[in-house]
Amino acid sequence: MFSRRFDMAVKLGGAAVGAVAGIVFLVIYFGVRNDVADVGYRPEQPVPFSHKLHAGNLQISCQYCHAGVEVSGHSPVPTTQTCMNCHTIVLPESPQLAKVRESYEKGEPIEWVRIHKVPDYAHFPHARHIRAQIDCQSCHGPVEQMGVVSQYKPLTMGWCLECHRNPEANIVGARPISGVFTGQMHDMKDLKDSTYIYKPIAAQVQESEPMVVPSFGNSMSALPAHSVAGIPHPKKAGLGPENCSSCHY
Amino acid sequence: MSMNVPRRIPYLVLIAVGAVAVFVILVLSGRVTWFSTQPPVEFLNNMDHNRKAIPQSANGFFADRRSVRDPIEGTVARGLEVYPLGMGDIDLVDSVNIDPALERTAFVMARGQNRFNVFCSPCHNYDAKGNNRITTGRGQWMGIPDLTREQTGALTNARIFHIISAGQNLMPSYADKIAPIDRWAIIYYLRSLQGDAALGQ
Repeated sequence: MFSRRFDMAVKLGGAAVGAVAGIVFLVIYFGVRNDVADVGYRPEQPVPFSHKLHAGNLQISCQYCHAGVEVSGHSPVPTTQTCMNCHTIVLPESPQLAKVRESYEKGEPIEWVRIHKVPDYAHFPHARHIRAQIDCQSCHGPVEQMGVVSQYKPLTMGWCLECHRNPEANIVGARPISGVFTGQMHDMKDLKDSTYIYKPIAAQVQESEPMVVPSFGNSMSALPAHSVAGIPHPKKAGLGPENCSSCHY
Repeated sequence: MSMNVPRRIPYLVLIAVGAVAVFVILVLSGRVTWFSTQPPVEFLNNMDHNRKAIPQSANGFFADRRSVRDPIEGTVARGLEVYPLGMGDIDLVDSVNIDPALERTAFVMARGQNRFNVFCSPCHNYDAKGNNRITTGRGQWMGIPDLTREQTGALTNARIFHIISAGQNLMPSYADKIAPIDRWAIIYYLRSLQGDAALGQ
């Protein structure tokens, strides 16, 4: 009915419009769905620090560098002084540590690139979660296996609620690996044989009995009193994120 | 073209289309992700980023771009306990470091163990004997003392508190990392590791 040329033009035009619409859809979709887009963010850091080496192989506890995470809402990025505790003696000439030494001598902080961030109108208190004996890995993933750290979980509100409404299902497996209970890391090489990782949550809490006695050190308030079968449980009234102002204040 | 020839169902094409569809759905729902060094694209950032000072982040308001400000000279933050002695003042310790004599409950000892394992064990090892997992076999760092020997056991609690707070020889100060009450808990736990060698308490 139409000329062959017109027919070809319609087909090509249709394909072009389809391709553009597809690309626009993908760009907008990933632009809006921050939870999908954020996972896997793995920026290059100014100093090639390896968590796999320090936390995984050398078994240095998370809290040695991120000291204060159990008494502060903010989990501190370590000071250069923390690096130099060891690196004045260990590998003092390493070219990879040049920026650390420079920062130490000049007194200017290293500008680490932030990976994990909840929106500025929401507050995530690290201390409360550490003191409820939630392992770091539950939110940050297996950092001790990451040479370069990437975001592992979406950190969206839906994701928070998913865990808070059903914590047993989400935090059982990984709990004591980063040494929240004892400070003693568990060797990643023996992880498959670890008696800890497959233990049900109730048994883990019983083992950690000393931690549930309140009022010590900087943390003078009682540990979470709401519990189900001895497990600190955020689902109970008054404790939970079902209350908007728990996080949005 | 005859209309009676039955067309064969293109199984391979169907499988391929199905696989692509599954992959697309997994990607769109976030089940399949991949790494990127670029910050995530946010067209609608939903007010995720406010212009406010966030701990330890950069802030254009100040010339040096730090949101965390140094204390004004000659001032101390409320509630901050500054350790008053320097590394060499070990002879003043008995008047400054007063042992709060916490009851050695299971919780205090567990707290001491936790802090010891976090901060002390990288060098002194979990059993305080100094054969740690970091320097052993690497030949980097010699002469880490065995804290269970009698020489250390004979130190008073106040002196050990001083060494944790101000450092000694190659050991740096841990006053910024360990709260004073936790240092006492560490000392009590160390005494339990020393066993019979703990003469100084």
